[in-house]
Amino acid sequence: MRLHRPVYVPGRQLGTLLGLLSLCVVLWILTPYFLTLSNLLNIVEQSSVIAIMAAGMTFVIITAGIDLSVGSVLALSGVVMATLLQAGVPLPLALTASLATGFLCGLLNGVLITRGRLPPFISTLGMMSVARGAALLVTQGRPISGFSESFRHLASGEVLYVPIPILIMLLVYLVAAVLLGKTGFGRHVYAIGGNEEAALLSGVDVRKLKALVYGICGMLSGLAAVILTARLNSAQPIAGIMYELDAIAATVIGGTSLMGGEGTVFGTLVGALIMGVLRNGLNLLDVSSFVQQIVIGSVIILAVLVDMFLKNRKA
Amino acid sequence: MNSSKRPARRPILMLLATVCLGLTGLQCGREAGPSADDPVIALVMKTLNHPYFLDMQRGAREAARNLNLRLVIQAAEREIDVEKQMQIVENMIQRRVSALCIAPSGSREIVPVIVKANRAGIPVLIVDTRVDQEALNEAGGEIAGFVGADNLRGGRMAGEYLAEQLNGQGKVAILEGIPGHETGDSRLRGFHQVIRNHPGIQVLSSQTANWERAQGYTVFQNMLQARPDIEALFACSDMMALGAIEAIAEAGREGSIVVVGFDAASEAREAVRQGRLLATVAQYPYDMGKRVVENAVEVLKGNPIEKDVEVPIRLITREVLDAGG
Repeated sequence: MRLHRPVYVPGRQLGTLLGLLSLCVVLWILTPYFLTLSNLLNIVEQSSVIAIMAAGMTFVIITAGIDLSVGSVLALSGVVMATLLQAGVPLPLALTASLATGFLCGLLNGVLITRGRLPPFISTLGMMSVARGAALLVTQGRPISGFSESFRHLASGEVLYVPIPILIMLLVYLVAAVLLGKTGFGRHVYAIGGNEEAALLSGVDVRKLKALVYGICGMLSGLAAVILTARLNSAQPIAGIMYELDAIAATVIGGTSLMGGEGTVFGTLVGALIMGVLRNGLNLLDVSSFVQQIVIGSVIILAVLVDMFLKNRKA
Repeated sequence: MNSSKRPARRPILMLLATVCLGLTGLQCGREAGPSADDPVIALVMKTLNHPYFLDMQRGAREAARNLNLRLVIQAAEREIDVEKQMQIVENMIQRRVSALCIAPSGSREIVPVIVKANRAGIPVLIVDTRVDQEALNEAGGEIAGFVGADNLRGGRMAGEYLAEQLNGQGKVAILEGIPGHETGDSRLRGFHQVIRNHPGIQVLSSQTANWERAQGYTVFQNMLQARPDIEALFACSDMMALGAIEAIAEAGREGSIVVVGFDAASEAREAVRQGRLLATVAQYPYDMGKRVVENAVEVLKGNPIEKDVEVPIRLITREVLDAGG
């Protein structure tokens, strides 16, 4: 019984990265506005919300699951935090509340999936609606806006010219990469996705681990909510609608298999950046927003087609 | 493992080639027009899948044609996606447009990006939906001008007409827009200001249908279930009104419930002509789009502009339409 599945697939990783780089080269040729330091920082900052959610999604998808609730959980975490901030609760406590709200929603997903034996699709679909409704209920449907300078600093601040959202995102990816690639926890996550039965038989506490994975995914939605709220200086109960699809797309473009058992957060980061670069580039090129949707959709399909093609070659 | 690397390259190159070709094609397909050194004005709207904003787009294009300038029009896929709109504006700042015209998806949420544009030295003009002045002042942001309709007055207009038609007596329901939207909130406030002065008019139910036609249908269906005695409806947008009309027809209550909408979309005008809709408040998004672009050009020339342009609104009734309005 081998639990150590190949974690790092060089061909795939390089392929995605190469895709990103060549996209950049093309845009660099087509528009003078693309390759400037301020635009590159702009793109990474814009991608940070989806990228952070996608990091959690990668964990979930590697276990052969899916989480459709991340967009709604983001909204709920955001409005809980905003309500507390407005009530004068100290900043660190409010931030913790956002992460905790996300974590609890995720954990509930996980428990429903492992104890209740619900398919992840159903459990998280339900949570998508429950969390959205709760967010609307908490706020009576109204956005909560106007926060302190120190809170907004989380989005507008910079450390050595690098915007803070980018730093938070990089930190998340660093921790996630170490967790997945270098720890027993990570190996077990791959093992569950590769073959859940086998993982169970070799002594992995599948239930606990899976619940935790969904909890992590929810918590990262809570973290994404912090950045989004600070960026807009407003927490909206209708924030993050359909963001789950962007997070799934980033994960899949990054080479994580929806069948589970393989993928890396590095690939996901590149996937999120590909989408960010595409959106930015299409804006810079004055492409109509209708055409943008077609291009982005096509890139998702093409990326997965290539991915499947590679897999068949290997088999 | 090594052997898998070689065949891997071909499909990736194929993917790249496709994307590159696609992008190059898009580049060539763009409108030819004034040269690259001329000023570029960006109009960032809430969405492009609504007739209202398409009218605004036509007006803006018309102004750009007359003035022979380059106009870039972008919008988020969904009207409520404040983050996507913020990203588009950020990208327009990177694109170094000469002036920005924005129809904000969120009156407060747009403020941080206005500040960013200010810092980049790009003048910002607001169209359609007002920016929250308090939030703007607090953030130290500045706008060069506003063009839009007075939604509060429109709401009052709708209220006055409905009160008159009901002879000051009746049971009314309201379909609201997305809560927290300045446009919808103002229409609602205006309507209430008038209705408050008519003690004979009772508001039975007031719920949101989130600007959507489908929700206008279901929400009003539910309202009718709960309160079959509803005699009149004010919908804060025509889309919701048109949905509600379907629900009324299905319940067989046509003629016994009067509906007033807002926006005067072409379909709503048709409904007014057929007598299915009592009235709708007309806004002129075409004029708004045209005027805001013209004003942006004046700002770029350094000429003074009227800072707050009120585009007229008008109540569209069957009489008005019959008179050729």
